[in-house]
Amino acid sequence: MGSLNNLREEDLLREAKIILKEKFGYHQFRSGQQKIIQDVLNGRDVFAMMPTGSGKSLCYQIPGYLLNGTVLIVSPLLSLMEDQINALRAAGERHARALNGMMHAQERIRVLRHLEELRFLYISPEMLCRSDIREALAKITISLFVVDEAHCVSQWGHEFRPDYLQLARIREQLGHPACLAVTATADERVREDIIRSLELHEVAQTIMSVDRTNIALVVRNVSNDDEKMEQLCKLLRTTRLPGIVYCASRDWTERLAELVRRQLGLRAAFYHGGMESIDRRKIQNQFLDNQLDLLCCTNAFGMGINKPDIRLVVHFHFPATMNAYLQEIGRASRDGQQGLAVLYYSPQDNQYPEGFIDSNFPEDAFLLHTLHELDEGVLTIKNKDQFLNDLQERGSSETAARFIYERIREKPAYQSFHSIFKRSKSMIEQRRRVLLNDLSIMKNYLTATECRRAYYLKVYHEDSHEKPVYCCDQCGINLADFDSVNFEDTVINRKQLMSWEERLSYIFKESERSKQ
Amino acid sequence: MTEKVRIGDDALMFSETLLLFLIKQFNGERTLSGIYHLLKGKKSSQSIQDSFLFRVEPFYHLCDDLERQSFQKLIEHLGDHEWIKYVNSEQTRVILTEKGMDKLSMFKIERMIPDGLRITNYVTTEKQFWLRLQLLIQTLSALRYQQTAFLPITKFPAVTEAVRRIIMESSLSRNQLVHQFYQEIRRLLTSIPILEANIFASQFSGYHMTGLTLRQISDESGKDLFECRTFFKAALRRIMQELSKNKSRYPFTALLMSPGVSGLSTTAGVSLRFLKSGLSAQEAAHRRNLSIGTIEDHLVEIALKDPTFDLSEYLTDELEHRIMDHANRLNTRQLKTIKKALQEGVSYFQIRLALAKNTVR
Repeated sequence: MGSLNNLREEDLLREAKIILKEKFGYHQFRSGQQKIIQDVLNGRDVFAMMPTGSGKSLCYQIPGYLLNGTVLIVSPLLSLMEDQINALRAAGERHARALNGMMHAQERIRVLRHLEELRFLYISPEMLCRSDIREALAKITISLFVVDEAHCVSQWGHEFRPDYLQLARIREQLGHPACLAVTATADERVREDIIRSLELHEVAQTIMSVDRTNIALVVRNVSNDDEKMEQLCKLLRTTRLPGIVYCASRDWTERLAELVRRQLGLRAAFYHGGMESIDRRKIQNQFLDNQLDLLCCTNAFGMGINKPDIRLVVHFHFPATMNAYLQEIGRASRDGQQGLAVLYYSPQDNQYPEGFIDSNFPEDAFLLHTLHELDEGVLTIKNKDQFLNDLQERGSSETAARFIYERIREKPAYQSFHSIFKRSKSMIEQRRRVLLNDLSIMKNYLTATECRRAYYLKVYHEDSHEKPVYCCDQCGINLADFDSVNFEDTVINRKQLMSWEERLSYIFKESERSKQ
Repeated sequence: MTEKVRIGDDALMFSETLLLFLIKQFNGERTLSGIYHLLKGKKSSQSIQDSFLFRVEPFYHLCDDLERQSFQKLIEHLGDHEWIKYVNSEQTRVILTEKGMDKLSMFKIERMIPDGLRITNYVTTEKQFWLRLQLLIQTLSALRYQQTAFLPITKFPAVTEAVRRIIMESSLSRNQLVHQFYQEIRRLLTSIPILEANIFASQFSGYHMTGLTLRQISDESGKDLFECRTFFKAALRRIMQELSKNKSRYPFTALLMSPGVSGLSTTAGVSLRFLKSGLSAQEAAHRRNLSIGTIEDHLVEIALKDPTFDLSEYLTDELEHRIMDHANRLNTRQLKTIKKALQEGVSYFQIRLALAKNTVR
């Protein structure tokens, strides 16, 4: 960092802009990016809240080219790591790698051997907690310690990760590099938690609005599923695509994909967690490669997906929290063009999120029975996976099994299993209350008579600012404005099925070889 | 709406026939899970042995992508037509009804099944091979188009490492390598029926062209999903056989095959080595840190796939005859029934071993 002190701030900024253009192909910073990058380059601890799709990765990638050493990015999402490294490599960066539990040991060794040469290292929190890895990291210069999805450090956040509590200590061991903590959504309570837990000093904060002004918001009330499907087809017949349709169940993703393919002839596919991983990957890549117009999926789709030209996000069923909703519609039009989010709401849909909340926790009787069996020695814990498996075979959901496992892990050795029942129960009640509260906020959004945007900004304690031209159904919107005929998209409509010879010759670029 | 139903029914013809055939072969002696595991290709010796016992080897590992739910739906569909009926009160085992027999007799399963499916020597490594092949194709396409980054269709470490090694260790230039491989694949696909080749290659991914899933191929072509799986597996097995028989014609692609394929699963192969070196089953279990039950599973698999291995240590000729007498007299392959009929002192393991030895003959 020493060499940087000689450069004045404007010089640094100029450098940063050159990199922005040459490496990443952008002509100017998007709002928020410049201040964050400046603070990072000045060696400050930074907390940044940026909504999904506002370009947070650039905030540490650009400093990576100006600081000496390696930028270490802690991220809990494997798919996100992979996507980012892929994007960096596509931009010509060869010194970006990941360390996570899914890798082959051989690959891990290769990464560790070349640590010094790395400009960017993405690492999962579990890996960072391993002492051999920390020792290797202590030998190199870490220029910046980035904590992605920083809300995971807070018990108040929606995805608490105990590993994240170690991060402050680990950062100390790595020579106390400057820290950049980023998240897409965090209310005040979570923000305070992040700053305290990560021990950020004199922190420079950039809190950006959660508002994505280029996404128009529409809620449509319907009376039943048939009407919903009818309206969906009508919408898809003319509206600009590609698009995503979020559904609450696997079954629905398959049904809708089939419906849309048959009725509209669109290239539609489904995506959900029950598929083989290779099939999931193929569908995802097809979507990225514009081989599909529409993807019908559960919320399993989207993490770490970077497709800037998704124009439409439909919710066939509404999600359980406003957070999840903003996250999901935030996948529309990341390139800044106009996007559209449509949510269909029929009264029967209430069952889905409520069922989802219930499935998070074990029922009293089940919990009691499990603890009893543990005390009796009928059920044993050899390791985590086996235990989770056993519980699921007894009919528990995966999340409920995890919940029980966490409670048992906290139990002091001398106490009986039964002794944790009461505490667990009150914890369930407390968490359920939080989730139900989140749900009611989401539901109120659906029935609100005020501007949709104003409503969710209020949820995040933000003031409404200038309304975009295409705001929401309450403010008045004409869906025909989103018809594909209004846009000059070039659609490459490649057929999916072809003869093996045709396919092979394309894949290996053989037709051109004969011309060479 | 009526039209849709008709299309649906037609499209299901293949899977209906296939399922009815399997149910007939299993004859209610295993639960429906047994059939599901057969199709999934479960790596338990029970499933492997069942495939021999009920003469359904080609269908083992036919659909490793089959979801339990879709299987269940198909079974319910057969039930709705009254083609099958339950034979036990728990409703886990089924046999064909008269109506089901009639339905099945309308089709010749032998004619529906391509020859390639009957090649079962490579079944334990076919998934591994298929993943490697797809990743290699995707990687070479990226090289050919000078793509600096792509999202690999699989991240399974054993697969990525193997593909990496093959590319790194080649002495050819990248460009030559791609061309050589193209020619080999071309040759391989020319050697199999065109319908199979098309279904096979539709799944290949390359530069900005991602391969289709079998489900998509089924949707796009209007063919039954099980039929697509069948043609795909037939193609895969033919190709693996061709590679293994004519290595020199495919020097590069043959590297994707796992060495020493004997039809034994890898872990059973390791046990076999220990046993051949003179260790007892007990000692082998100890050395491998496995339960004796697992080693016994391996022995059953060995009995099925390596008839030259001497098993008299575990099963005397006399006992074997006694077991088979009972099995034949009772006309069953159910272990429990056979064990009950025999006196004390015969283990399930020995019964399984006897059955295994006698299905091979």
